Order: sequence, then structure tokens, then C-alpha cells
Amino acid sequence: MNAAQGSTQATASPARWAWTRYLPVVLVTLGLAFVTLALGLMSRTAADANAFARLQPLLLGVNGIGILVLLVLIGRKAWRLALDYRRHVPGSRMMLRAVGTFAVLAVVPLLVVYWLSLQFLNRGIDSWFDVNVRQGFADALTLSRSSLSLRMGDFLARTEGAARELSGESETGVVIRLDSIRRANGAEEMIVVGANRRLVAFSSSAGAGALPMLPGEDVLMQTRQDRPFVSLDPTGDGGYGVFTAAPLPGRAPGEEPLVLVGQYAIPDRLAKLAEGVQSASAQYGRLTYQRPYLKGTFALTLTMVLLLSLLAAVYGALFWAQRLVQPVQDLIAGTRAVAKGDFETRLSLPSRDEIGYLVTSFNEMTKRLALARAETEQSRAAVEKERANLATVLARLSTGVIAFEPDLHIRSMNAAAGSILGVDPEQTSGLTLADASQLNGWLGQFLDRVGERLQAGQAEWREQVPIHDEGSRRELMCACTALPVVGETAGGFVVVFDDITTLLQAQRDAAWGEVARRLAHEIKNPLTPIQLSAERMRRKFLGSMNEKDAQVLERATHTIVQQVEAMKGMVNAFSEYARAPQLVLEPFNLNALVSEVAELYRAGERPVVVELALEAGLEAVEADRGRVRQILSNLLKNAMEALEGTPAPYVQVSTRRAEWHGQPVVQIEVVDNGPGFQRELMGQVFDPYVTSKPKGTGLGLAIVKKVVEEHGGRIEAHNGPEGGASVLVALPLNEESRAQLGTRETRKSEPRRERA
Amino acid sequence: MNGFPKQVLVVAPHRRFVAGFAFCVALVLCALAPAAVAAEDARFEARSAYLEPVDGVMQLNATLELGLSATALEALRDGVPVTLTLESQLRRKRRFLPDASVAELEQRWRLQYHALSDRWLVTHLNTGLQTSWPNQAAALDHLSRPRGIPIIDAPLLRGSATYEASLRATVEVGGMPDSLKLLMFWVQWQRTTDWYTWTVRQ
Repeated sequence: MNAAQGSTQATASPARWAWTRYLPVVLVTLGLAFVTLALGLMSRTAADANAFARLQPLLLGVNGIGILVLLVLIGRKAWRLALDYRRHVPGSRMMLRAVGTFAVLAVVPLLVVYWLSLQFLNRGIDSWFDVNVRQGFADALTLSRSSLSLRMGDFLARTEGAARELSGESETGVVIRLDSIRRANGAEEMIVVGANRRLVAFSSSAGAGALPMLPGEDVLMQTRQDRPFVSLDPTGDGGYGVFTAAPLPGRAPGEEPLVLVGQYAIPDRLAKLAEGVQSASAQYGRLTYQRPYLKGTFALTLTMVLLLSLLAAVYGALFWAQRLVQPVQDLIAGTRAVAKGDFETRLSLPSRDEIGYLVTSFNEMTKRLALARAETEQSRAAVEKERANLATVLARLSTGVIAFEPDLHIRSMNAAAGSILGVDPEQTSGLTLADASQLNGWLGQFLDRVGERLQAGQAEWREQVPIHDEGSRRELMCACTALPVVGETAGGFVVVFDDITTLLQAQRDAAWGEVARRLAHEIKNPLTPIQLSAERMRRKFLGSMNEKDAQVLERATHTIVQQVEAMKGMVNAFSEYARAPQLVLEPFNLNALVSEVAELYRAGERPVVVELALEAGLEAVEADRGRVRQILSNLLKNAMEALEGTPAPYVQVSTRRAEWHGQPVVQIEVVDNGPGFQRELMGQVFDPYVTSKPKGTGLGLAIVKKVVEEHGGRIEAHNGPEGGASVLVALPLNEESRAQLGTRETRKSEPRRERA
Repeated sequence: MNGFPKQVLVVAPHRRFVAGFAFCVALVLCALAPAAVAAEDARFEARSAYLEPVDGVMQLNATLELGLSATALEALRDGVPVTLTLESQLRRKRRFLPDASVAELEQRWRLQYHALSDRWLVTHLNTGLQTSWPNQAAALDHLSRPRGIPIIDAPLLRGSATYEASLRATVEVGGMPDSLKLLMFWVQWQRTTDWYTWTVRQ
């Protein structure tokens, strides 16, 4: 499911990124277009206030949209940059600095331009309202008025002339003559008004359908005061009319006063010129009033354009900073990946500039690193394989192997070496010879000898090294050689050794068996005739000899018979030692047998205390009862003989159940308080003809050891801490444990025998 | 550039900066300051109004108090037009329902100084009729006393019903383009009186 999702994302992402990749470019292009459009509109409106007013909404709309777009873009990028900065994303600080630098570089000139633009705007608008301009408009108005005043004076004079012409006329006459007078004076309209604005006569160039325009009360009041009235009135269609009024002179007191009102048209050309001056002046007046507001709107628009430019500059700074920093961020990420061991990292080539060269170099480096690592991995795998093979071989090897550093630290030791020397190989790794010697007596003796050789500069040697403790002795056949120096790897030494104790013992056993067999065969045969001959000589000649000779014969034949008997016993002993093992295994009560044999020795002539310490539960020990009796007899006999001359002789025989290599065994221990074994014979007490007793044959303990080994057991001899000797015999409790211990012993000894 | 006074070109840079800053501040203050259409202490209201039937037509006569500010008057003298809008409504009172609108009328006049003729022109924008006045006071007086504005034919009014009329006036100075007024929306471009309401007696 996750893989599916991942693949979906992997396929969806490029399409999405294709959008987002080109979106900023499109938006930036639009933003720049808006800025350009806004600046163009501003340049147009700066010269024409009307154009400014007309284009202002468009300008504001353009600016507003641009600012909105840029704000969205900047906000998005700034938010992402802030998140990256807080998360300490690599390159975010660099990007922040780049953005700051770019923004300052862009914003400062913009602000300067803004300030200059404001100045220009201020001066430009103020120039419209320059004193000279105002005065110019005033002068133009004055000039126009002067020009029109001449016309107005002329029209007033015509009206006054017409009034004089009508002064003597009755109202009817006025009505009749008014039209001709109007035409004669070139008036557009003439009205004669009486009191209370009563219309007396009316004539208009517009014809009969036209309505008269009655004068206001102010006009009538002025004319009643005998003051003519003249005014210039715009007609609303761009033309001008001159409105005149003059009283009809010569009216009798009490007669209704009449006023002649005449309207004249200003010629079109003059009216157009005058209207031009008037509208320019009015326009100027309006601008004067609108001046602060125009300035404000100009400044506001300029500020918006500046804001747009500023935002565009900031966004540009963000955009280009990101473009600049992105390859560096990729490089940082790639470097981190390489530092974590990912040599498969490849960066896309951003461009063909210096950054592109750097990325190419990085990709080449990671490629080579990946190749080198692959080769190293292969070499390491090969070495590991060889090492594993070697370790397997060494572990299965029954030969002990110890490797030493050149400075004689123990580099490694195989399992067989640990087993032979009775030490855990793991404990010895890295130890010096002196430190390792403290672990174990056997190891100490072995390393002492090895150390002597190596410290003497002997790298190649071969030697049989005996090691022993109080109970046993081992012979190790050692061979040492120097390890080759490969490269910077130090050489060191390797010592290979075999425990040949068993081999030597087997050789000795075989030799002694052969000797015993030959002795039994060669010596026993003549003894009987010798004994018979001696007895025959005694019987034949004892009676015929004198007493003195008879005594000599008696002593001689007795001695011969005695010595022959002794020799028979010796030969029988040899025969017993050399005979082939044929065990008759059957369960029997060991404690009963021990008690029985001990009782024989309690009844002896010597006052030896025989004490038994028998553990219950040994009623069914499977062994050869006769051989076990022989073991007990020999051990007790050996102890009795060793206790000669010892005050308060004491022998203790104990039995107990125990375990040996996880198998149940029965232990028989015979302890005495005699002088103990001689230290120099400690490793050889079970060898034939090794004895410290004057009367011993040296075969008792050898036979015991032989019988014990025939049962698959073991035997050890120790001296007690307060004197006395102790012999410990361990026999398998039953057939099963004997089979297990026999298999173990076979496994342990077979390879050595094969090598031997 | 030729139009610039010579002394502007030799102003020290720091002075320019100070001047520019001051200009900006002034612009902001100007922009934020409301346009004084009417003087704060002068009365600006509809003082009286009534409807009278003339030749079978109910005509509106009103008296307004248009206390323009000095700024507005100055603007008038500079040729800036002042527009007066008179809104009138006639409603029939109903007991349980909202009042029924019988007639609504909006009349507009423009007062503008004509510098060349030194006359004050009042133009009725609904009809285009123009009158000129010799001074500002006369023109304003004419403007503040609208007379004979037809509202509705008298026969259309029910004799048994009660009618209520309302009136309000709006004065706007400047003739600023609508776009600028929209832009500087916080500026008070016009001033409007409260509704003046009375019961019509037939």
C-alpha cells in the first residue's frame, strides 16, 4: 500500500511541480506587466489632470491586482523561508542574507526614485499655479473684457439711440416702429417694458413664436433712476449676448415710464475667443481648488506604484535568492547524504556555470566513492569469507593455535588451544604474556616457555614443552613461526601445539604391556623348574648330608623357593598389567565392597585406623566388581605401605556421587596421613615402576589407573595441604554414562592419535 | 523646467529632503482634511417649505439656508461650480401600512461665476434654463428660494387622504471627477440637510 502510494506520489509530483514551477514565472511576468502599465499610465496622467482622472480607476485597479498578486507570492515564499530558518534547514540563513541584500539593493534606489518623483510631482503641479500663470489668466480676462466693453458700449449707445427715437411715440407707435428700429440697430431682440414689467412692445429676430425675456427688477430699478444698464451674458451654447436697457426719455410726469431693453449678439469669432479665455480661466480656477486633492491622489497613486515596485523587487529578491541558493542547498543535502554513507546521491545539473561545474564534480566524486566502496565491500566480503573459513578450520582443529602480535600481545587463540591449556580464548585476547600467565598455571608455564623463545629473538623453533600441575602432567609439542608482514599489517608470530600426553602415554602403555607380556612369558616358564629343582635337591640331599651342610642346603633351597615365589608374584603382576581388558559389568553395592575390602586391612598386623565415609545410594553401581575390588585393594595397600613409620597412621576411604562432564559418576577417594607423593614424581605416579617405596614394584597405581581407564573413568593424585596423599577415582555410575564419557574421550583423543 | 522658479534649483539637498517630507505630510493632511462645503458655524438647513396649488398643479416653494464656508465661497469665486440638489417626496399616509409614495422629484441647479462677464450664472440642470446675477449674494439668494416647482397635479390627490411632503437639499462644491471622489472617499465632498417634513393641507 505504501509502495503504491509512493509510486502514485512519484508520478503525480512532476505534473504538480510543472504547474508550480511555471506559476511564479507567469505571475512575475504579469506583475512586471502591471508595473510597466502602471508606470505608463502614470506618465500619461502626470501631464494631463483630466487623463489622470479618467485613468485613475484603471490605474488603481492595475496596481491593486499587482499588489495583491505580489503579496500572495511574497507571503508564500516568506512563510516558507521563515519555516526553513526556524527548522535550521541548510541554506536558509544564506538565502535570508541573499534576500536581505537583494531587497536592500532594490529598495533603496526605489525609495530614492520615489522621493524624486514626489519632488517632481510637487513642482509639476505647483507649476500649474505659478503666479505668472494666474496673472496671465487675469490679464487675458481683462483684455477680453476690454474688447467686449467696447462692443457693450456700442450696443448700449444703440439702445439709447433707439430709446430716443421712440421717446415721442405713443405705445402704438412704439409697437409699430420697434421692429424697424431693432433691425436698424442690429439687435437680436428689443422689448419695451412699462411699469410692473408690463410688456409694451416686443421684436425679435427669432420671429413671432419667440418669447420675450423680461428684465429683472434690478434692471428696471436702475433704469428708473435714469441710469442705463448693460451686461454681458453667456447664452449657454458658447455664445455671448449683450443685454442693454435704457429708459425712453421725455416721458411726461405721471406718464408710465417705459424702458427699452435690447439684446445683441457678440460675433461668433469674438465670442469663441472670449469663451476660450473664460473656460481656461474657469478650468484654472477649478484646478486651483482641486490642487491639494490632485496632489494627494497623485501621491497616493505614486505610492501604490512604488509599493507595487517594492513588492516586485522583494519578490524578485526572494525568487533570485532561491534560484541562487537552491543548488547550494542541493549540494549541502548531497554532502550530508554522502557523510551518512549514501554514495548513490546524484544532483541535477542546474546550469553550466561555476555551480554547475561544482555539481558535476560532486556527482563524479560520489560516483567514484560508490565504486570504491563497492570494491572495498567486495574485498571485505572476501576477507570476511576467508576469515570465517579460517575461523571454522581453527575452531574444528584439535591443534592449539595462538597468534601473537609483534609486541607479544596475544592476538587470538583457537578453541583447541583454550581446551588444551584450560582457559577461555576470549579472555586472553589482547593480553600480554605476563597478564595471560596469571590466568592459568598451564597457560603460564606454556607462555613462559614461548616468551623465553620469542624474547630471545627465535621466530622459528620446534620444541616439546611439558606442563604440569599437582595432579597431572602434559606434554605439548610446539612449533613456532613468524607471520609475514603484509602492507601496514604487522606480522607477529603463530605458535601451533598439540597435546601429545595421551600419545606418549599410549606409547608407554604399549611398551610396558609388551615388556610385561615378554617377562611373563620368558621369566615365568623357567621359574617352575627352578623351584621344582630346588625342592627336589632339598628332598634328595637333605637327608644324606651332615647337619652343617644340611642347614646350608636347607637355607639355600628355601631362599631359591622364596625368591622364585617372589619372582612369580612379580611375573603375575606383570601379567596382570599386560592382560587384555575384558570387563564383566554388573550392578553391585559399592559401599558393601568398600567395607569388605577395608575390613581385610583393619584385620592386619599394623595398627592403622581405617575410616569409611560412605554416601548412601550407591547400591547399584554398574562396574566390574572384581576390578573395582582390585582398585580398592591396590589403593589401600599402597596407602598402608606408605604409612610405615608414620605415627598414628590413618586412612580414610570415602564414596560419593558426583558429576563429570555432565554425567553421573561415583567417586572413591583414599586419603592417608603419610608423607605424600614426592613432588618430583607428581606427574608420573601412575607410570609403571615409578615408586618411592623400597619394597614397591611400581605397578600398583599403574594397574589402578589402567583399570580405571578401562571403566572410562579418571584418576587423580594429590598431596594434602597438611601432608598426606589423596587418590581420587571417578567411575561412571552406569552403562549410559560410561558410553557418554567414552564417546567424549574418544572424540577428544582420536585426532591426536590420528596425527600421531 | 523652464517654468520652475530659479531659486528652486539651488535649494540644498537636505532642504530638499525636508521639503519633500513636509510635502508628503502636507499632502496627507490635505487629503485627510474634509472639504469645507459648508461653514461649521453657519446654518445649513431647509427653513420652510410648502405646497400650493397653482393652476391645478401642486407647486413647491421652499426657503433654504445655505451657509457656505469661506473655502467654498472662495472656490466659487475661482470659477468652481456649486451644485444644489433638491429632493422632494410626497407620500400618502396610511394607517396600518407603510406610507405610499405619491411623487418623487429631484431638481438640480448649478451656480458658477462667469469671470469674463463678472456675472453669477444659475443654471437649472433639469431644463437647461440659465439666469445670471450681478453678484454672489443675489445668485445664492435666488438659489436658496426655489419657487413654483411642480410636484403633482392637484386632482390626483385624494381629498380624504392625508399627505406628507419631505424636502432636503444637497450642496456639492468642486465638480471633482467621480473617480477622484471615489478614491478620496474620506473627504466630505458634499453636505446635505436633514429632511424637512410637513403635512400637506389641501
